[in-house]
Amino acid sequence: MSRLLKQHPSLAWIALVVFATLCSLAVVWAQKNLGAAESAPVMKSQPKPEKHPVTIKPGPPTPRLDTGLKDAQGNAITAACSTCHSTTTPNTTRNTAHDLFQAHRGLSYAHGQLTCLSCHNAKDYDTLHLADGRSVAFPDVMTLCAQCHGTAMRDYLHGSHGGMNGHWDLSKGPRVRNNCVNCHDPHHPEFPLVRPVLPPRDRISVPNVPAEH
Amino acid sequence: MNDPSPPSPKTPCGGNCSCSGGSANASPPPGDDGSTRRAVLKGLGATLGVAAYAKALAPLTELTKETSMDEFLQKHYKELSKDEIATVITRLTQEAKEQYGADVTISDPKPQEGVKFGYALNLSICNGCRKCAEACHLENNHDRPSHQSYIRVFEMTKGSMDFEKGNVHYDHPVPQPDKYYMPVQCQQCEHPPCVDVCPVEATWKEKDGIVVVDYNWCIGCRYCEAACPYHARRFNWQKPQIPAAEINPDQSYLSNRIRPQGVMEKCTFCLHRTRNGRLPACLEACPTGARVFGDLNDPASEVRYVLENKRVFVLKEELGLKPQFFYFFDE
Amino acid sequence: MSDSAVIPVPAKPVPEWRQYLRFAWNAFSQSVEGGWKFYVWMTLLTAVFLVGANAWAVQVRDGMALTAMSDHVSWGLYIANFTFLVGLAAGGVMMVIPAYLYHDEQMHDIVIIGELLAIAAIIMSIMFVVCDLGRPDRFWHMMPGLGKFNFPVSMLTWDVIVLNGYFAINVYICGYLLYKRFRAQQPVAKMYMPAVFLSIVWAISIHTVTAFLYCGLGGRPFWNTALLAPRFLASAFVSGPAFIIVAIQIIRWQTGRMFGEGAIRTLVGIVRITILISLLMVVSEIFVEFYTGGSHTGAAKYLYFGLHGHHELVPWIWTSIVFTIVAVVLFMQPKVNRRPVLLNTACLLAFVGLWIEKGMGMIIPAFIPSTLHEIVEYRPSLTEWKITAGIWALGFMIYTLLLKITINIHSRKLKDTSGARTVTPDDALAMADGGGLV
Repeated sequence: MSRLLKQHPSLAWIALVVFATLCSLAVVWAQKNLGAAESAPVMKSQPKPEKHPVTIKPGPPTPRLDTGLKDAQGNAITAACSTCHSTTTPNTTRNTAHDLFQAHRGLSYAHGQLTCLSCHNAKDYDTLHLADGRSVAFPDVMTLCAQCHGTAMRDYLHGSHGGMNGHWDLSKGPRVRNNCVNCHDPHHPEFPLVRPVLPPRDRISVPNVPAEH
Repeated sequence: MNDPSPPSPKTPCGGNCSCSGGSANASPPPGDDGSTRRAVLKGLGATLGVAAYAKALAPLTELTKETSMDEFLQKHYKELSKDEIATVITRLTQEAKEQYGADVTISDPKPQEGVKFGYALNLSICNGCRKCAEACHLENNHDRPSHQSYIRVFEMTKGSMDFEKGNVHYDHPVPQPDKYYMPVQCQQCEHPPCVDVCPVEATWKEKDGIVVVDYNWCIGCRYCEAACPYHARRFNWQKPQIPAAEINPDQSYLSNRIRPQGVMEKCTFCLHRTRNGRLPACLEACPTGARVFGDLNDPASEVRYVLENKRVFVLKEELGLKPQFFYFFDE
Repeated sequence: MSDSAVIPVPAKPVPEWRQYLRFAWNAFSQSVEGGWKFYVWMTLLTAVFLVGANAWAVQVRDGMALTAMSDHVSWGLYIANFTFLVGLAAGGVMMVIPAYLYHDEQMHDIVIIGELLAIAAIIMSIMFVVCDLGRPDRFWHMMPGLGKFNFPVSMLTWDVIVLNGYFAINVYICGYLLYKRFRAQQPVAKMYMPAVFLSIVWAISIHTVTAFLYCGLGGRPFWNTALLAPRFLASAFVSGPAFIIVAIQIIRWQTGRMFGEGAIRTLVGIVRITILISLLMVVSEIFVEFYTGGSHTGAAKYLYFGLHGHHELVPWIWTSIVFTIVAVVLFMQPKVNRRPVLLNTACLLAFVGLWIEKGMGMIIPAFIPSTLHEIVEYRPSLTEWKITAGIWALGFMIYTLLLKITINIHSRKLKDTSGARTVTPDDALAMADGGGLV
């Protein structure tokens, strides 16, 4: 070995360079792989001081029908649902709206196979009712939705359905949640089609390139 | 040493060396009229050359209008003391007023102790309306003409996770029945390749998980943009153009202050909001409630509920980068 | 002989560094003189360089929107040229290895041509990187000590070190050897031989590190292959020798001296092997991509055949392949050594073919399709072409001047006439024997 080095002293230089390179590569590997442990999440639960309130937007008010007439002060004259419905026979099998021609004309209805009276209360048309007959006031409609859509309500209560505005950290500020009916029309709950906004542009100030896929 | 060339003709000194007496490039002996003329011509040529060079590089002098010596000498964010940061922020506020005509407030919120951000996105619910991308565009003071946003929404075909079948340029009412929609933004990876490759450490991962960029340190080499597997990084190909009335004045140093030309930027999970406990802009704009954000270290948080109870996956998991952005389905 | 060689010793000895400065000044000032052809050549190059410099100044002022790059294709012509030129610089080692490791005397005499090429090519590649920066005014951020240097994790920092190191090694070697010849002194082996051996290893490392910049990125499957570094080296060892073969002939034509015949034969022999290896590696990549299939081969499909109606790069790559194959056929001809037209055509085709393959054919396709499988194409803008031309012009200017200095020194047109030291009989003996270029 020493004879080799004596004849070709430059080999020592080369060996040194190679050794330094290997050391640096070892450092790179270590930094990339061994540093991971530091960034593992710390699983401690922090008791948050005084939580700010979570407000759920109010449900719909008890609906009243606008007769189209105005009173002496110019206010609209409205009628409660029970005004007309106390004189009609409840139709427990109706589950379409396209042939309604008196009130409720133009109501778009698409809520599965449910009949109107699955939710509306034949005993008191100014309220809704649960499956066991208990009445539910219109502003409390979320209880009725949750009756069938329990999984969605479970997700909603855990924050993964329905969105929110405000703070993720309730110790820093309040939060406002949507009511079910803010996003889902109870008669036509499927989310409506919308036009998308802000199409991406692939070069600076170049108009949108049409899809080719 | 061997001499491959033939023996040269006899030189005046009578030696045998290889100087070639009559090279085509020889200059005439000094003292000639030719050499004075030559010297004058050469001087003229050199002067013209220098003048042309100065003229060619003249546009560089216009740069001093927009940058200052303070900015040129500014140290890396991690090395700035509190006072120095305050000075820098004062200067940046002034520049925003001068260059954009807007009064802005630039804060510098620090990561909260023990907080680790995570973001989840519900693919069963996202309808592809791109309101999140628009909210990002408005919140983060992006360049207006290019519709710049950190979020790109893909219309994917049901039955496939392959982006090869994805389309980002859809322009029809959404959601289409046979499609699902996948917004992609920075995944704030645990092992970010963008951080590894930056030669000047202008980008790094903060304690609360957000990967940030010091816009005043970035040299614009775009290596991080080449390294990112999620197309999360954006470059300022020109100076951002935003009308003063549209500027979001609630800014921070590391996130949504108006970036200068020639530097990289990326989604910061709206740290100017989230480090103060607020929700990010994209989440608040989502009309379907598909986005869930919170502290991964808090077992009672919404995002932890998703991770523990839903069918969750991450993009390009095989790369081993451990993204902190999760996609899930309800069923 | 010794009578005519003795020069009187001056009264006060001049320190070595001042003599070196005087050498450098004399070398430069003599190198900018020449015949009308030289002035026309340099003026043309200067004009092109100034166009490029102006384009760059405008790009710095108005932003890189003037280029055709986008957030999808974020590296373009500049980095393509940078990659190719690092290879060209490494290619000089194909002269150094035969000269010093295999004691090829004929190569030994002219190996400096390759080392000077390395200097010019490294300057060009560093300039391409600087022109690609969004904020070149922040260059100091990369200097260790002054700024923040993300070594050893970022491969770009490795590249900064090895490129500057290679530049320094070659400047040292050439500067030392030329200076010694200028002083009509024998170069001292232990002053430059270790640097020469280091430069051999270092040349391999510059291109390997440059390849590591790309092949370590998991998000870019087109680059994420172990074959990238060997491919880079193989194509470097074609383009370097091809350029030098042509350079030798140009120097012959300009100086009227016939030299380097054996060296050209050796280089042709080297290119015959390395071009086949390079082609084999391309075939290997093509097989792996197209036999495997799948989404990760989108970039290869786009490059060779076009994808989803986009086919900007297809003519480029097939031109490169045709050029390379024709070059192979020409190089394999036995008479290529005797027919300059054949030889130079082969060299030019190989050079251009590999410029395309390494530049447009290796850098750009990694970005198309993007990491999210979007296709945004790239065609370099006028600004990019101007800056590219400007830097190439500057590189040619530097190489011309360096070669002129070397030719002047070796033809004894440029020599030390200050009489700073007595020329010993040994030195005179070396001068008498000499004629070789080291």
